[in-house]
Amino acid sequence: MRIHRLFAAACCAALAALPLQSARAQQGELRTQLTARGLPADLVDGVAAVAADAAARGLPTAPLADKALEGWAKRVPSARIVSVVQQFAGRMVEARDAVRTAGAATPSGDVVAAAAEAMNRGMSAAQVGDVVRAAPASPSAAPSLRVAAALSAQGMQMEQAVSVVARAMHDGRAVEQILDLPSTMRAWQAQGMAPPEIGRRMLAGAPGGPGMRGPGGLRPEGAPGGPGAGPPPGRPVPPRIGPGAGRPPTRMPPRPTSFAP
Amino acid sequence: MTGHGFTPDEQRYLDGGPHGDPSDAGRADADALLRAAAAYRDALPALDARLDDAVLAAVRARPRRAGRGLRWALDGRVRPIWIPLAAAAAALVVYLAGPRSPVPTAAPMAAVRAADTVFVQFRLAAPAARTAAVAGSFNAWDPVSVPMTRAADGTWLVTLPLPLGEHRYQFVVDGTAWRPDPMAPAQVDDGFGGTNSVIVVGPKGLVRT
Repeated sequence: MRIHRLFAAACCAALAALPLQSARAQQGELRTQLTARGLPADLVDGVAAVAADAAARGLPTAPLADKALEGWAKRVPSARIVSVVQQFAGRMVEARDAVRTAGAATPSGDVVAAAAEAMNRGMSAAQVGDVVRAAPASPSAAPSLRVAAALSAQGMQMEQAVSVVARAMHDGRAVEQILDLPSTMRAWQAQGMAPPEIGRRMLAGAPGGPGMRGPGGLRPEGAPGGPGAGPPPGRPVPPRIGPGAGRPPTRMPPRPTSFAP
Repeated sequence: MTGHGFTPDEQRYLDGGPHGDPSDAGRADADALLRAAAAYRDALPALDARLDDAVLAAVRARPRRAGRGLRWALDGRVRPIWIPLAAAAAALVVYLAGPRSPVPTAAPMAAVRAADTVFVQFRLAAPAARTAAVAGSFNAWDPVSVPMTRAADGTWLVTLPLPLGEHRYQFVVDGTAWRPDPMAPAQVDDGFGGTNSVIVVGPKGLVRT
């Protein structure tokens, strides 16, 4: 019996060590990634220390590595890079709290990162909660947060952008349709429509907006058409611009492989 | 075709994508290569339609070795206590022999499904530039891995398949000057005192910035 207890304790210890293994692997990946891009050792150490702290709190480290790589590529001084990475890690803590408050007890790293980026662009913790609560499934929360932030960056008031995205999710729109909202907004902006009016139309369920039924809606500029594609009611089809104007839109077949630089 | 391979225009021509204006000689070379490839494909012997079934039958006929240990355990020859202990030992081995040289991974993007990609054409009007590239969250901000091609009117172009989702990027002119895309639908503070351009790629097809 005593031997069995010892074995059971060893079993529990080994299983408890698995998350540590994952965190250690994350750290190794981050260091390898940064070193491979030529970051100096002191910068790698500084970023890795922030990332280790983030990992210990259960936060994703990949966005931190991405921020460090961005700063390094732009020739930002190392101290400034570490400071920005540290700030983003702190923002992720706030973002995770906002997401948890909205009812997602164990949000994925992608949701936390998306919420942190949205908060960096002016989304409040309460608005993050509004989007997360409207997300019927956690995989749609991250893209929805990013779409709301993108609509805001395109000129829509953040409050209205959050309402548009939340409405889309309440209406059962697929993630792919929500991802098309920024393109739809851009197309309407190109026709001279003001962002508040675009928001109102989207909330009212205009074609291309979140209330639309079925696939289609407005296309991004130059995109091949699909069922239901078209401008809003009463609006002419915008002319194509650029060297391709007057020719049929170029369509390339999707390739099975993802982009791998 | 050059002595070292295809020019970018010829490569795009062969790929069936939009191409600028390959030279007559380049187009003739590419067409000849396509004809040769078609002739080679036509010359391949046709495979017997029953080949797949024969291969699968041969595989199924091989003696099965997997699962012997599990059957041994289920037969009662192993005491149940050893099964979780074996699992714990395996977990301990995984922990102790963890990856020492992990493969670097890119930062996660807002892709809904990895297989979903949309072609995005980036354009930059910079007639005086000697080189131009695009760098962003989709290539770990590498300023050299996605060079752009100069068109006759001084516009720099590149078309990339990007996963659905949000991407931040800038153009890199002459190797050092980072510039946001003036045609991008949205611009955001990059945290370093600059501005990143933002594009959200939806599933509807070719997008031009």
